[in-house]
Amino acid sequence: MSINSTLATWTGKSAYWFLHTFRGGGSSLPGKLALKLDPTILKHLAKNYDVIVITGTNGKTLTTALTVKVLREQYPDILTNPSGSNMKQGIVTTFLRAPKSHQKPLAVLEVDEANVIMVTKYITPKAFVFTNIFRDQMDRYGEIYTTYQKILDGVALAPEATIIANGDLPLFNSKTLPNPILYYGFDYQEDEEQQAPANTDGLLCPRCQHILHYHSRTYSNMGKYYCPHCGFERPQLTYKLNALTEMAPTSSDFEINGQAMHLNIGGQYNIYNALAAYAVGRYMDVPATQIAHALSENDEQVFGRQEIFHVGDKDVTLILVKNPVGLNQVLQMIQTDDRPFSFAALLNANYADGIDTSWIWDGDFEKLPELNIPAYISGGERYRDITFRLKVAGVPEDQLTIIPDLTEMTAAIQKLPTKQVYVVATYTAMLQLRKELASQGIIDGGMA
Amino acid sequence: MTYTLHAAHLYGDLMNTYGDIGNILAMRYYAKAVDADITVDLVSLDDPFDADKYDFALFGGGQDYEQTIVSKDLQTKKAALTAYIENGGPMLAICGGFQMLGHYYIGAHGEKIAGIGALDHYTLSQDNNRFIGNITIENTETNQTYYGFENHNGTTFLGEGERPLGKVLQGNGNNGKDQTEGVIYKNTFGSYFHGPILARNEALAKRILKLALERKYADADFSALDQLNEDLTKNVVTKP
Repeated sequence: MSINSTLATWTGKSAYWFLHTFRGGGSSLPGKLALKLDPTILKHLAKNYDVIVITGTNGKTLTTALTVKVLREQYPDILTNPSGSNMKQGIVTTFLRAPKSHQKPLAVLEVDEANVIMVTKYITPKAFVFTNIFRDQMDRYGEIYTTYQKILDGVALAPEATIIANGDLPLFNSKTLPNPILYYGFDYQEDEEQQAPANTDGLLCPRCQHILHYHSRTYSNMGKYYCPHCGFERPQLTYKLNALTEMAPTSSDFEINGQAMHLNIGGQYNIYNALAAYAVGRYMDVPATQIAHALSENDEQVFGRQEIFHVGDKDVTLILVKNPVGLNQVLQMIQTDDRPFSFAALLNANYADGIDTSWIWDGDFEKLPELNIPAYISGGERYRDITFRLKVAGVPEDQLTIIPDLTEMTAAIQKLPTKQVYVVATYTAMLQLRKELASQGIIDGGMA
Repeated sequence: MTYTLHAAHLYGDLMNTYGDIGNILAMRYYAKAVDADITVDLVSLDDPFDADKYDFALFGGGQDYEQTIVSKDLQTKKAALTAYIENGGPMLAICGGFQMLGHYYIGAHGEKIAGIGALDHYTLSQDNNRFIGNITIENTETNQTYYGFENHNGTTFLGEGERPLGKVLQGNGNNGKDQTEGVIYKNTFGSYFHGPILARNEALAKRILKLALERKYADADFSALDQLNEDLTKNVVTKP
């Protein structure tokens, strides 16, 4: 250990202790301080760990949480980073606050796509998990191909690490890599020739640049794809979802490699996250029955981007949306609710939301009028854009209430005609709503 | 419905990166007010473009990689698209679509990528810079103000016979220098605006819709469109 890294570690740990004890925080500043003193500090801090890096556009946080749950069945000592602390400073802070361990501990890290290389410069992970890559805040990273390349630039420094990738996404089969690769995917549907809807991203065959076709499709450009022109196709899956038994808004039942699973979270996209966690679990030799046990545990911690609270007699489900693929998945999930419900969409366009609101036009809001929803709310700083979007989708004007100022939301929710209420919100709109809810004592003040 | 417009969504499966399809959805929404519907065909790789079949064409923007593929295929549609534009066929081209109607653009790796030269502009690239942000322009012929979001590396320079869609009030526009944004040539409109442009700018949506309707149904009266005024403040709840 060098003098620098000792000093940096001591400074970082002290800063974390101070911030955590007196300010109730400290998610990135300790890392920042330690990095200032020793830019290579991560090498020192993580040297005893087996590290699993989880990256991709959607589902990183939940996949990380589920993976930790699964691995805890076998490995008691697991370090992980809190949601959102997925860039360099947050990761350094995560290691700084780790208690001393005597055995070789595991670290399961959610890492931002562009920050994979910041990690692999100092740490050689045992495995990478690629969840998916979709168009997301293109004002930030650009295109799906450049995002994938950013990840691969990081992976190139660890050519022996195993990649555990979503096999249903064509992009993850587009490059030849030296790493061993294990694929997971959905394999429960009969083959039926089809193509993806026209406004889907990433439909070009990476080999011959013709439009990909599908034998079966889950959502977006994911599924059992093939190219009728050159024969490019989905790779062999090691971990298969072989039955989808039931999907409800707050739970899913399915089988992976023949093992029945129950998950207390709704949404097909979350089944992908569970499938990724299963794949990591099996790769780390956790028996399938134990994985099923871990996934079925009712644990509020893993709700992630979906939160339930009560306003008066209303049961409100608040869901973060940030891109069209995520939004479409949420719309598909609420469709599985057989109780009557109302629907609210809150749109902001600050940096953390993505400052370009165009993406709402790729969201399949046209589905809403088919769901017999008696009342709608549109709101947020960009209420005009989301209101017009809903009207174009066919939402009747007399069923729509517009709430530009989110401090009015709780009053508006109480006036809705149904007990169930779904609220989808972009990031800062969600924060504003949570702040209002906290000030009214409906939820506690901490961030989810 | 009494009237039907047939729209071609050019390369909609490859060139629809920023909700460009919203332009057609918004037009269809306004069309309902005059009892008109809009049907949409996807015209993509290896599909012919039938200039006589369509009353409107949308050509959106794509990712760099997709655009290089489209550039090659587009050459097979060059004659039909040029004829359509020259005959006054209404078209809206956004971002990459706008660039490719011109002579060429410079790709992400400095390579020159062919357009079809149906319009007289060309597009260069900036080194490590994109114009990203909200943009406001004024169309000086109608005094209308248009709002949008621009996100482009390319800098486009208009040629002879091309008018800009507007004068830049805020933001960068075609090239950040000459205060022009977009293009109007005959009934073809080009722009860097996302938003999508017709969803955020009712006046322009109705202008292009009316052009298309009057071109197909010369004897019908669509002036009701001018009276239409989308009210997004109805049902607004404000602080008591």
